[in-house]
Amino acid sequence: MTVTDTRPERTATADGFLRRRTGLVFPLLLLITGIALGIGTLTMEVPDNTASPGPQLFPTIIAIACVVFAVLLAVDVLRRPEPALVATPGSTTDTTPTATDTDTPTAEDSDDTPVEEPPATRPRSNYRALFGVVGTIVVFIAVLNPLGWLISGAWLFWGIARALGSRRVVFDLFLAVAISSIVQLAFSAGLGLNLPPGILAGVF
Amino acid sequence: MESLSNLMDGFATVLTPMNMLWVFIGALLGTAVGVLPGLGSAMAVALLLPVTFSLDPIGAFIMFAGVLFGGLFGDSIAGILMNTPGNSTAIAGSIEGHRMAKSGRAAQALATSAIGAFIGGIIAATLVVFFAPSLAELATLFGPAEYLALAIFAFVAISAVVSDSVIRGLAALVIGLAISLVGIDGASGAARFTGGLPELFDGVDIVVITVGLLALGEVLAIAARRGTPEDTGILPSTGRLWLSRTEFRLALPAWLRGTAIGVPFGIIPVGGSEVPTFLAYGTERRLDARRRKPMFGKGAIQGVAGPEASGNATAGTAMGALLALGLPTSATAAILLAAFRQYGLQPGPLLFERASELVWALLASFFIGMVVLLILNLPFAPLWAKLLKVPRHYLYAGITVFAMLGVYATSSKILDLVLVLAIGLLGFGMRRYGIPVAPVLIAVILGPLAETEYRRAMAVSEGDPSALVSSPISITLYSVLLLTVAGLLFQRVRTRRRQKALV
Repeated sequence: MTVTDTRPERTATADGFLRRRTGLVFPLLLLITGIALGIGTLTMEVPDNTASPGPQLFPTIIAIACVVFAVLLAVDVLRRPEPALVATPGSTTDTTPTATDTDTPTAEDSDDTPVEEPPATRPRSNYRALFGVVGTIVVFIAVLNPLGWLISGAWLFWGIARALGSRRVVFDLFLAVAISSIVQLAFSAGLGLNLPPGILAGVF
Repeated sequence: MESLSNLMDGFATVLTPMNMLWVFIGALLGTAVGVLPGLGSAMAVALLLPVTFSLDPIGAFIMFAGVLFGGLFGDSIAGILMNTPGNSTAIAGSIEGHRMAKSGRAAQALATSAIGAFIGGIIAATLVVFFAPSLAELATLFGPAEYLALAIFAFVAISAVVSDSVIRGLAALVIGLAISLVGIDGASGAARFTGGLPELFDGVDIVVITVGLLALGEVLAIAARRGTPEDTGILPSTGRLWLSRTEFRLALPAWLRGTAIGVPFGIIPVGGSEVPTFLAYGTERRLDARRRKPMFGKGAIQGVAGPEASGNATAGTAMGALLALGLPTSATAAILLAAFRQYGLQPGPLLFERASELVWALLASFFIGMVVLLILNLPFAPLWAKLLKVPRHYLYAGITVFAMLGVYATSSKILDLVLVLAIGLLGFGMRRYGIPVAPVLIAVILGPLAETEYRRAMAVSEGDPSALVSSPISITLYSVLLLTVAGLLFQRVRTRRRQKALV
């Protein structure tokens, strides 16, 4: 085990009001959902002979609930911002159990390596890797039908592995092609699932 | 004794070479998925759903049973050897388990956990065999109003109990309910929120939602955390594989206590095994503190035995509740419900009559699966840990490939792939901002049920809302719910106050 420097660093902006409250995207999402549900409910085409609690009742309730929880969640996020400190690469902040029990297990530790209580940090996001994964999937979706499973499946594996930090470009390429071929054989030939053949249609 | 003869028939169905193979494959897959961090049996079943299309239902379900329990057997391996629990259900058992491993007793910890999971699972399965038919009979008394009460109970309980903030839990629930609205309304035929897309008329598939939230969300979360040096220090599994008589005497009561704690939680919809495992951990610790030489903190065997047994006991009775009532009490059960529907079966009281061969074969496969898993896990636990040495980027790239394959294979719709990406991003955001995922799944499964039952109840009573609370069963359900929530809020306020007093 490597002991890494887990000291958090201060963000450049000393205050960063919004940076500590990026969690506001969720209230925003709820609000948008609520409005969309509301508009959808109002413009819904209801067949004439519908029994009394019709198809619009539940959407209305949920639309209202969306807006209510958007407000409540926004208040919650505003009142309890995330810590100003950003985790340095090297500290893990994700494994804290969200136990609901009152009896928290880390209360006492007579262990030789005490469970260190790291200063509260907010998770740091590796946006390059994140966009790498999302981008790879977007390209996969776009090329799946035109190019077929074999090529696009290999691209998917290769791209995700690369985005997640693999640096063996050529080896990965062979591995990716191997995996997508095995999948094609096992699922298409073996189990009879429908995978798009794409431009390699004639080859098989 | 009718149950026993039915169960024997079930064994006869399962003990064919082909079905045994499915049990074995399920157990292998389940354990593998359980060992890997962040992935659980709910996701494994969701990924398998499209693949099992071509199997007969009995083969598919006994494989699912293997996956379900395999996930619970496997999740403690990584927790004990690396202190990174494979799943939230293994957190409680890993605390003492990792300490045992550190003091050179890893093999005993793994054995305790495997035997604990076995005992909890077997006892729960036995209870299900004897009580599920009577539970199903009880369920025939349930009308629309009672089912609505059950669904509301599940909604509130899962939102309030699973997350540490009730607001976040309920917000997640609302997101799930909103997703469940998409599609054609069954009662009236009106298209709701489909944007005119015919692909959405059937609603968003549960496989898309599960795979997006659980698998893709996890992959994105892993990507976002890249650059974090992994501390993959796997402790060697040393020591005796078997337990000494003293250890056994310490562990046995803990296994039984854990089982007793876990069993009732399978029937209450509070989202699976997290709560009972922590309750079992707390009980063992309190009992241990009374001894002359408390072992907690130094690697207490009871701290592994209790939580592991309770986790599997909960999973076992949860299956009973799903089969007899048609009520999913955890995310995994929710996915299994979707699996039943895929085969045109509706779990609930009628299932025991309409598909009794399947039900009893499934119950028999619990016992067989448990034995297979004990054999797979007891001697081979260190081998399973080797799985964790596969580089992360290949592991999660492979999972993404299978996730996209599974989603596309179910429907052959490109739109589903776009949806799974969107839901994956949602799942990532929820992980990032501490919003629980389980309420979304329960809402998606039970939301349509709640709506249908409400409208049915209203149609029967001709719009009189008092019909919803007129039967003793629904009154009891609502009052238990009120008491639970009140008790929970009271407890939270009290601990908050105590924390404030300490500061």
